[in-house]
Amino acid sequence: MFNFLINPYKFNKFADIIFKPLVIVTFLTLTAGLLLVYVSPLDYQQGLTVKIMYIHVPSAWLALLTYAIMTIYSIIGLAFKIPFSFIINKAIAPIGAVFTILCLLSGSMWGKPMWGTWWVWDARLTSVAILLVIYVIIIFLNKTFESREVREKTIAIFVLIGSINLPIIKFSVDWWNTLHQPASVSKLSSPSIDISMLQPLLVMTIAFSLLGIIIGILRIKAEILIRKNHL
Amino acid sequence: MTLIKKILLFFKRESKLFYSNIEDLFSNILFFFLSIFIFVFALGANEQLLRNIGMGIIWSLLLLSSTLSLRKFYEEDFNNGVLKIIHMGGISYELIVFLKILSHFFFVQIPFLASIPIACIFFNLPINEINNLILTFVVGSLILSCLGSISASMNLLNKTNFSIGSIIVLLFCIPVIIFSVGINNSESSFSSLINLLLGIALIFLGISPWSSAAFIKLATRNK
Repeated sequence: MFNFLINPYKFNKFADIIFKPLVIVTFLTLTAGLLLVYVSPLDYQQGLTVKIMYIHVPSAWLALLTYAIMTIYSIIGLAFKIPFSFIINKAIAPIGAVFTILCLLSGSMWGKPMWGTWWVWDARLTSVAILLVIYVIIIFLNKTFESREVREKTIAIFVLIGSINLPIIKFSVDWWNTLHQPASVSKLSSPSIDISMLQPLLVMTIAFSLLGIIIGILRIKAEILIRKNHL
Repeated sequence: MTLIKKILLFFKRESKLFYSNIEDLFSNILFFFLSIFIFVFALGANEQLLRNIGMGIIWSLLLLSSTLSLRKFYEEDFNNGVLKIIHMGGISYELIVFLKILSHFFFVQIPFLASIPIACIFFNLPINEINNLILTFVVGSLILSCLGSISASMNLLNKTNFSIGSIIVLLFCIPVIIFSVGINNSESSFSSLINLLLGIALIFLGISPWSSAAFIKLATRNK
């Protein structure tokens, strides 16, 4: 049933079926999310700047999620020797990098009015910056080696080593004393965010991930075509 | 010929190479001192400020100047075929990499130890900080040699982008720098931090022969 996740031929077929409805659904969700953000209430302390959250938080989550997907596919690719996982590794690394840049930029724009500074050397901010460096190194490694086998295996091993950074990012706000606030949505007890702000946040997260899936499908299909012509 | 004799011959060859290229080491040390001078010129001669940031500057400059010598790690031996000849002599690539790391540690990193106390004089560091610096450098430079072996063997396979190897070395050195500079700030957790550094060194001593040998094997096959 989930063969399309590891088989390029089935992935192509599945993507052809799903693509047009997906674009329509993404367009509707994004419009609905932006409208909900527009009518969502202002914060009693932060005022209008709280609306940066609806860009900042989804892009941060998706930056982490993209890296987690790459880690899982690297394990699959190295253990079971499935070449499709290396295609995914190459295709979705720039998407994760863009989400990380979006997260860092919106965060520093939010930090200037709230904390009074664009950047602090705080545990959460520094670990996300290292995540961006890791993404950029992966993108560069894709253009480095001549033989494809070496390149794919090196990138997969590098992704696995770099995944040490993921739990550090997630728990940095709990382990160290940081300026960045601790998690308020993704925790075990009930979220400490009001429902009127949680609704647009979740809709925006769904819209962002659908957008990421659309770009990912396009990039993976292009990568499959390139490999077909070379092999 | 027994294995021990082969290993001794390997070290003899390395030391001969080292003495014939000794100006290379001196130019690395010169780079280290010159960059210290440049730092002092850029920051001004405020004694208190220099004492506070001295250890961090010395560590990061040691890191940068030891990445200078990484280009010569395998490239010459690979291009003139010595690596293949040693391998034909009955030493596996993993053992060659391990011996190379050890010889790099003895012949390139240990001479830097002699220059560290002189560098500390420039920053007026107190004596216990100098002790910590030397202790952490002995462990940390072993990690640097292992990382250098991995990146140099990676560079055998790519012919376009050489700086990516040094970038990866710098990325993996972040925890080394954090733990070794952090020793100074917290006297209470001295033993735990030095244990962490030793643990990282052991991990890399285990990983790097295996991964570098895999890269070298692929490079000899593709050549």
